[in-house]
Amino acid sequence: MQGCNLSCIYCHNPETQKECCLCGICLETCPAKALLITDNKIIYLKDLCQFCDKCLQVCPYFSSPKYFRITAWELSNYILKYNEFLNGITFSGGECTLQTPFIIEVSKQVKNNSPLTIFLDTNGYVHQSGWELICNHVDGLMVDLKAFNSKTHHYITGVDNSLILENIKYASRQGLLYEVRTVILKGINDSQEEINNISNFIKELNNYTLFKLIPFRPYGVKHPLKDTVYPDKNHFEKLFQMAKTVLGEGVKKPLDISL
Amino acid sequence: MEKIYRIIANTNLDFKDKRHLLCLEAENSLPYVEISQQAQTYLKEGTICDLFEGNAPYRPRYILPDFLLFMKQGSEYLNISPPKNLFEAINALLIIYRFVPSITSYPVYLGQIEELLEPFLSTVSPKEAENLLRFFLINIDRTLPDAFVHMNIGPADTKVSRLILSLEKELKHSIPNLSLKYSPETPDDLALQAIDTALVTGKPYFVNHQELVNDLGKDYAIASCYNTLLIGGGSHTLVRLNLKKVAEKSNDYSDFINHKLPEATSLLVEIINARAKFIVEKAKFFETSFLAKEGLINLSKFTSMAGFFGLYEAVKQLTDLNMGKDGEAEKYALDITSHARDLMDSYTGLYCEGYCNKIGFHAQSGIDTDIGVTAGVRIKYGEEPLLYEQVNLEGKLHPYFNAGISDIYTFDPTAKENPAGLLKIIKTAMKKGIRIFALTTTDSEFVRVTGYLVKKTDIEKYHRGELLREDTVKLGADSIRNNETLKRRVFGKS
Repeated sequence: MQGCNLSCIYCHNPETQKECCLCGICLETCPAKALLITDNKIIYLKDLCQFCDKCLQVCPYFSSPKYFRITAWELSNYILKYNEFLNGITFSGGECTLQTPFIIEVSKQVKNNSPLTIFLDTNGYVHQSGWELICNHVDGLMVDLKAFNSKTHHYITGVDNSLILENIKYASRQGLLYEVRTVILKGINDSQEEINNISNFIKELNNYTLFKLIPFRPYGVKHPLKDTVYPDKNHFEKLFQMAKTVLGEGVKKPLDISL
Repeated sequence: MEKIYRIIANTNLDFKDKRHLLCLEAENSLPYVEISQQAQTYLKEGTICDLFEGNAPYRPRYILPDFLLFMKQGSEYLNISPPKNLFEAINALLIIYRFVPSITSYPVYLGQIEELLEPFLSTVSPKEAENLLRFFLINIDRTLPDAFVHMNIGPADTKVSRLILSLEKELKHSIPNLSLKYSPETPDDLALQAIDTALVTGKPYFVNHQELVNDLGKDYAIASCYNTLLIGGGSHTLVRLNLKKVAEKSNDYSDFINHKLPEATSLLVEIINARAKFIVEKAKFFETSFLAKEGLINLSKFTSMAGFFGLYEAVKQLTDLNMGKDGEAEKYALDITSHARDLMDSYTGLYCEGYCNKIGFHAQSGIDTDIGVTAGVRIKYGEEPLLYEQVNLEGKLHPYFNAGISDIYTFDPTAKENPAGLLKIIKTAMKKGIRIFALTTTDSEFVRVTGYLVKKTDIEKYHRGELLREDTVKLGADSIRNNETLKRRVFGKS
């Protein structure tokens, strides 16, 4: 879902951060002429698109011409069409909780008509009352914890992490905290102390939440960080094993780590 | 004679390839089994294709011996006593496999393996059992180098099937082909182990056990390349009809349904019956084979198979509709298939007692030389709709085919992160009527060609001109090029 309330330096999908302001810069770079602006709207012609992603690269406003509007009714019908092939659906972004009323509406319609579960992939930076509302309508949450150290968190995201930590604790008490995720950035949040702190924080919460360590990859990143060397395999493996000594089998990493 | 010399002097063939081709040349020096002029014409122009089985067939194409009976009674011909432990059981199987004929000369069916070996598992330690099964699988891969060699496991959960799955994942062999009979009684964690193995090796197939039991009874098995046949029986022959070519002969849809399809199927039946008759009455296979004498096969469990392919192009030719894209195409696809099945069922299949004297109805999944015509009743490669729509359409077509039908579903490598999601898809596909579900990923070391597996590295070796142990690598390499196998839609890719 389009739009985000954070602007993390390593953001892998920077084109999902903001809404389109119709500047038209991407129109000029599109080699397939698959973009146009009419009636104060940007139109993306998917049939012509060559999927080169140049439009995303050139957008100076961290947006994209490719997102579109859909009603809760349309989306839930689309999901229900595939109901029998699915175990559940996950809302992601951007930051999906910025559109909480929409998610609740889709969730109601899907749950009334199928056994599907609803999960959110979120940064957890939501006011307490909004977070409680969300927790009433979903079956599970995957929450990013970009750093445990407050200063480091501020450096990466621009905000303090105390609200996020509180929300993680609340979700844990509700039995909804499926997974906590941390992207490992070389020289920023890759100290043993940092990973140890997160692991112990999760361990104290409950006995069911998974901790997923994800190595930073430069793909899609616009920040100068894209030019840095990403964490080396041995160091990442060391952090992974360290988390394992705290959390045992509750630690995960991407299956294919091509560092 | 010139042709025979060319085989003998061909440096791209090794000894066993030459022997196989020379046998075929000897057979083809005889005239074709007795068929009408019109049937000959259909064969010559390729509307009907006998898959180069040979002019004077002297053994059934597919044989599925009752290996369970063999384990109980041993074999006088092979001088084997009933095995008493796992060593003897595996040795007995490895011996008899070399004596089961088929169109390729390699056995196309290795048995319902856990049924054969589980009773002996307690005769050795768990470590020994694992080592013996590893040795068994390595022996099969090396001595039966043909990817149509096919082993069955499931639907029940057994130690042997779990071992086979974990060893297959470890060994990464293209041989044997492997099927898991899947039913609601198959526990999820066995199915998940099978998916885990399939994500590495492209096997096993998932077979819709309930549907096939309803059609064939519980004594069925999967042999060669998606063929569903009776244990203790088999199929004399497989002759296929190119629906695209029949459509091209037709003036319009009604001419196709009312005249050209009936005419083509009558000729198909004529050829199939003539071939079966020759095997039984002239070559007297069942009077000379020890398998028949010792009761390991029985003519009363045999059938013949009629293969159909090119439905996609037939629908396109006759209605200008695209299966998988145009909703209305489904109506025609089903209409053609049900007409073909009814027509075939209106004839008596000679020596087809195993299938109530009807010829088995089979969706033929293509051969290396097919160009511009789609396998079986599949959607043209590269033109597949979303998985949901593909399974919905194919689920309606599969139930017509009692002698084998399948499709291969290719997933993005990220599917490896979510085996439970794949299991959900497989369960739903079965519910929708899919009979055989093969899955693979784009990054797999294997390519599933029509129905058998070929290693990508072996294909490269073949293109470099190296002589290879497996005869199926050549077939695979040519199929991939001609059938555009690698153009298939990848599911789960954003």
